[in-house]
Amino acid sequence: MRKLVLKFEDAVLKELLVGQKEVSIGRSPDNAIAIDNPAISHYHARVFQENDRLMLEDFGSLNGTFVNGQRVKMVALKPGDSIAVGKHTILVMESNEVEGSPVWRADRPAAPKINETVMLDTKERREFLQQVAAVGESAQVAPARLKVATLVVRKGRTDQREYTLSDKLTVVGKSAMATVKLKGWFAPKAAAQITRRDDNCYYIGAADHVPSVNGQPIGQPRKLFSGDIIEVSGTELEFLYRD
Amino acid sequence: MIKFGARSDTGRVRENNEDRYGATPEIGLFVLSDGMGGMASGEVASRLAVDAIIEHCRTAAANSSLPFLGDRREGLSEATNRLGSAIRVANRAIYHRAHEDSEHQGMGATAVAVRFAGDRVSIAHAGDSRAYLLRGGKLEQLTSDHSFVAESLRRGMMTAQEAAESKLQNVLLRALGIEPDVEVDLREEIASDGDVFLLCSDGLTRELSDAQITAILNDSGDPREAAGRLVEFANQAGGGDNITAIVIRNVAKPKGAFSVFSCLGRWFMILS
Repeated sequence: MRKLVLKFEDAVLKELLVGQKEVSIGRSPDNAIAIDNPAISHYHARVFQENDRLMLEDFGSLNGTFVNGQRVKMVALKPGDSIAVGKHTILVMESNEVEGSPVWRADRPAAPKINETVMLDTKERREFLQQVAAVGESAQVAPARLKVATLVVRKGRTDQREYTLSDKLTVVGKSAMATVKLKGWFAPKAAAQITRRDDNCYYIGAADHVPSVNGQPIGQPRKLFSGDIIEVSGTELEFLYRD
Repeated sequence: MIKFGARSDTGRVRENNEDRYGATPEIGLFVLSDGMGGMASGEVASRLAVDAIIEHCRTAAANSSLPFLGDRREGLSEATNRLGSAIRVANRAIYHRAHEDSEHQGMGATAVAVRFAGDRVSIAHAGDSRAYLLRGGKLEQLTSDHSFVAESLRRGMMTAQEAAESKLQNVLLRALGIEPDVEVDLREEIASDGDVFLLCSDGLTRELSDAQITAILNDSGDPREAAGRLVEFANQAGGGDNITAIVIRNVAKPKGAFSVFSCLGRWFMILS
């Protein structure tokens, strides 16, 4: 697989795997890579697969599309190429991720060590506000069309009929900590837990009880896919990604 | 009377624990520091921070004429100003060590400290380690992170969602040990019976939401249990960084019959 990495200066804004579907680039929010910047045409360019080759086509944009510094109309891309549109850069990279893993992911660390806490030095700090101001004005990328993970209650007594999974950890049970609150005398404190991992996917794991997914009791934590039915302690929950 | 519990954990991803905390209940002081810097430097920095803050406050408790480092701020109590001075002293200690010793170059640390003195609680911090107050069941964040993301959010340059998803979470604008002087944020609260203070490193707050922290604090009456559960849940949520939590409860002095009733009340709540 190949992926496109959208950057503004040093900041990685988005990563996008390129599969069979073409990737449109432009200012309109319905583009796969939407960049809300006046320097970019509403439908600026597209990246698509053609017989195993990755192609870039500029739609006759006003300010042009550049690959490795050269203005292009239609060109084959290879890993390592750098596409420039306005002030943004899109890097073409190899990815070992398989198709089917979620395409959109927000702000993945660019380097393995990036999670280390760092301190901006004095000079950088002085420039910080200007930089943020610049980014704030010109790099207002339309919010990623992140799918919202949702649990819909199909059976059982809970405090809500539907839950949006916004936290990294979601506990299902009677505990004060639980997001999905089970009711009833014999409901366990923590029946199951769902965690969002760094891949932005959700995994269900056992807590006091062993939940079943689609009728199968789970051993190891199991990745959840849209439509999975979770059964735990008499409660049935459907896991969904909503737009 | 103060009851406290603390827990520090490496988490599930890191190899070292660069967080450090110190509790000196005899002078009502609780300190937490999250170190940064390659190799073992982060651990050195956070240890220097905690030790220096405690030592400065201890010395001042025995000898009130101990000089203050930095300006005294008007309108704040002696104890609060002393806490500010202690963090500035710690800053110098780390700064000098980093410059003396090339192997520790660039090391730094956050610091957050609370001190209970009379009817006041002093809160001081620099960096992105936080202090929270749970009062009447509601959680309030007492400190504002000195981080790039938090500052961008405050200035309206990022939306809450952008801030939550930013990869620049780890970029600090203020920390101890980077420059000879550090600006310290100071504030005071009037102590109230039943207050629960939480000091924590970002390893906790990156894993759990405020609502989840509130639920855990409200649910565990014992500070040690609360600290343990906070760390445990943060690990379950991923444990991406070192996790440290100090929970301090300002307990009402037992008032005879009153405490019996509150016990009964608790039982009624459980049974109903």
